[in-house]
Amino acid sequence: MTVHFLMPLAALLQAPDDAIRDEIGRLQRNFQGLIWGFVAAWVILMAYTLMIVFRERKIRREMERLKNMVEDSGKKS
Amino acid sequence: MRQKVMIGMLALAAILLVRNLYVISVLPDEVNQGQIFRIIFFHVPAAVAAMTGSAVALIASVLFLVKKDFFYDSLAVAVTEVGLAFLAVNLVTGSIWARVIWGVWWAWDPRLTSALVCWVLYAGYLILRQALEEPTQRATFAAVYSIFAFTDVPIVYFSIRWWRTLHPQPVFFNKNGSFPADWSAALRLNLIALFLFYAVLTMIRLRQEQAQREIDYLRRTVHAM
Repeated sequence: MTVHFLMPLAALLQAPDDAIRDEIGRLQRNFQGLIWGFVAAWVILMAYTLMIVFRERKIRREMERLKNMVEDSGKKS
Repeated sequence: MRQKVMIGMLALAAILLVRNLYVISVLPDEVNQGQIFRIIFFHVPAAVAAMTGSAVALIASVLFLVKKDFFYDSLAVAVTEVGLAFLAVNLVTGSIWARVIWGVWWAWDPRLTSALVCWVLYAGYLILRQALEEPTQRATFAAVYSIFAFTDVPIVYFSIRWWRTLHPQPVFFNKNGSFPADWSAALRLNLIALFLFYAVLTMIRLRQEQAQREIDYLRRTVHAM
């Protein structure tokens, strides 16, 4: 089990410098891609959620305003 | 009561998503793709949720045309708008995944193109609604348009079977799929979490649509006075 775990490390130690640099670069791009993917997913969903929250406030204000207008008109007449 | 149900669903979705983030982070890397493969846990559930939303929009649109009940119109617009956000998640995460694995942000491949067309079609549905003033006319035209837009959904789903594409064959919803059991469990839980989140957003949008209808009614009343 321990040998199996150390095998990639052993392979890296035997590999030429360029190959190690390429592999590290690939792993880095891979990880950055994953992070950007997760961030993008959450930013889109949170931005949409915020849009809904702002719309909710706008609707409530408009509803209140119109109800007051109807009540005022009723009192005048 | 409805409020409590929504909060409960949202809390459950949040718990599942936080738990899943941990589970996903400790899963082993995929042999060929490495860490980036974990993006599948958002990419696929977002697509499934969006496509399910399209099916609900289709049913609601048909029901509106049959029953002329504006509740179905509100449901169709709510579920479509939320679906559009989820489909955007699917497209953006797919594009990032493609950049890492294929070396390009986008390829005009049947699956990608049909999914983009689907997004544009449903965006068109929302634009169409903005363009029409009269409520009955707006709801009727939107319902017919929604039924038409849904024709793209099976094309998106079957595109990877019908044509040769860059996009891989399904590994999850497939008998010959090679998805390990623990990965399937994590994906399924993320699917449930995103579905719950989708449902909560749809319920809020549905309530907003009904409130907007009431506002339209009050405006007409104020103008008539």
